[in-house]
Amino acid sequence: MTEYLVRRLLQSVLVLFLITLVAFGLIHAAPGGPTQIMLSPGLSPEALKVQAHNLGLDQPLHIQYIRWLGDMLKGDLGYTFKNNLPVGDILWPTVGNTLVLMAVAWLLSLIIAIPWGIYNSTSAYGISDQVASFVSYVGFAMPAFWFGILLQELFALKLNLLPLSDMWTMGEEGNIGNLILHLLMPVTVLSLGFLASYVKYSRSSMLEVLDQDYIRTARAKGVPERKVVFRHALRNALIPIITVLGLDLPILVGGATLTERVFNWPGMGRLFIEMALAREYSVLMAITIVTAVMVIIGNLVADILYAIVDPRVQLGRKGGRAA
Amino acid sequence: MTELNLDPSLGTPELGSGEATKAADAPSSAWRLFWSKFSRNRFAVIGLIVLGFFILVALFARLIAPHDPTYIDYMFANLPAGSEGHLLGTDELGRDIFSRLVYSSQTSLMVGFSVAVAAVCIGSILGAISGYFGGIIDTIFMRIIDVMYSLPTLFINILVLAIFGSKFVYMILILSLTSWMGVARLVRGVFLQLREMQYVEAAKAIGVSNWGIIFRHLLRNASFPIIVNATLMVGGAILAESALSFLGLGIQAPMTSWGIMLSNAQEFMLVDPMQAVYPGLCILIVVLAVNFIGDGIRDAMDPRHKVMISRRRLDKWREEYYKSEI
Repeated sequence: MTEYLVRRLLQSVLVLFLITLVAFGLIHAAPGGPTQIMLSPGLSPEALKVQAHNLGLDQPLHIQYIRWLGDMLKGDLGYTFKNNLPVGDILWPTVGNTLVLMAVAWLLSLIIAIPWGIYNSTSAYGISDQVASFVSYVGFAMPAFWFGILLQELFALKLNLLPLSDMWTMGEEGNIGNLILHLLMPVTVLSLGFLASYVKYSRSSMLEVLDQDYIRTARAKGVPERKVVFRHALRNALIPIITVLGLDLPILVGGATLTERVFNWPGMGRLFIEMALAREYSVLMAITIVTAVMVIIGNLVADILYAIVDPRVQLGRKGGRAA
Repeated sequence: MTELNLDPSLGTPELGSGEATKAADAPSSAWRLFWSKFSRNRFAVIGLIVLGFFILVALFARLIAPHDPTYIDYMFANLPAGSEGHLLGTDELGRDIFSRLVYSSQTSLMVGFSVAVAAVCIGSILGAISGYFGGIIDTIFMRIIDVMYSLPTLFINILVLAIFGSKFVYMILILSLTSWMGVARLVRGVFLQLREMQYVEAAKAIGVSNWGIIFRHLLRNASFPIIVNATLMVGGAILAESALSFLGLGIQAPMTSWGIMLSNAQEFMLVDPMQAVYPGLCILIVVLAVNFIGDGIRDAMDPRHKVMISRRRLDKWREEYYKSEI
């Protein structure tokens, strides 16, 4: 187990290192490079040189990279070009807001999807199963932001039941009831996306397990169906779902981006779009790295959970699931 | 509505052209078997018809659209649906909404198909090299895929388009560069399985080059899973394009796309809520159609897949069976 953990950790560090290379490389591949973007326009050539020197832009690329990486490791995410604000001050509050939205939507969809999928596996091709299949088809094919706009038009503009956007009503910051009202629509949009895949997945995973010999044996011995499903089948069926949850994390972050944009939710995704349009590269890099770290940790946790839950996983083999 | 009836004839050769030639020299007609299974899947056939319909609309957009989709006329801004000469009304700049919808289908289908083709090419080549040669190359490619999977794709797309500017070609490039991994893994899996086969050994023995073996002998074994994957990728690319255009980073102004129309519609939600409905509905229908086709191909190819029979029909059969016994 320890050996597996160490290897998996080292792998994550390697992946993270490659991601920093990609992010850094992208910025420096931009037409004109960061020099043009970062330096204030309209300065004399001498002043530009001084500024470039101060920002370390006259150094060779690998030195710049090492410096940047060192700053990142120390937790210094750099400064915005426009007002020279520390990136961390802008970024961290939005991370929290995104996590609130994501966690609620994700938990909600899991709470609905897994029991529903289990039920559907026991009555495959029944009405509930057909409804679930319809929901997942639509959930996969519908642009989430469109669904959001439709909800806004219906519940906020037409029926006037829910707040149109934002996280709090002005002056009501910290009021949980107010937060819940604001959460309702974005959470619905986000959880439909997850629901679509989780219902389908837990159903097929259950069906596969229910088809196995030991289930037939249990039934033949006269174990009641309820016990067969919940005690014998469910445990094994849940194992592959854990992997899917881990793999879904990037989608979780990416999907929240559009939803945040539509509902003006002050999260990381909305910040990313704003900063992309304003060309604030240091913020973009920081968000990319932060999300990558979140995703990698998520995958790591999923892999470890997988190994703990399923004793059949051979830890000795290289890389577990991914390799 | 008349176009609907024409479509199967358009859809069939489009999917079949590559496969039909192969089937012709095969003794057992695998293609016909596939088609008979596929055509029994109601949803897949509907998907094919709908997709064919949209392809026709895109091809003949010039004839179908009553107005120039870029023609701005403030005199006729924000007309409601059903106004004279404007079937679905006009937007805030007086552009005809129906015409814009029609022309947008060109953008969406073009993005969808080009991304799928490009991603399949990248994925098959990298997956084939990885699976065939194995060893250190395989390890490196698999780590690259791990990295690609742990990046939030949307962020990377936004980042690249923000840095390099929103050009159509760039969008197709970055969308394909972030969606080839599935195909690569799939092809690699097939190659890992098949590279030890005797016919590969025989090919090597008579001096066929590595590339010859990869492209002539092994790659076609993966062709059907690749097609399924590519079909599903078309839908994904259409959704991604609409998202990027919605954010203002995808398709740019004189061109039109369902995503752009949606971002306009959100701004003018109070004036005309229906404007937001049409483009989203178009996206939903096209992507649904494509996904139905993809699932249909997969089910028709999968020998383990049982034909889905409704419970009512099953009960009916059972009843008839019992009756016949008596």
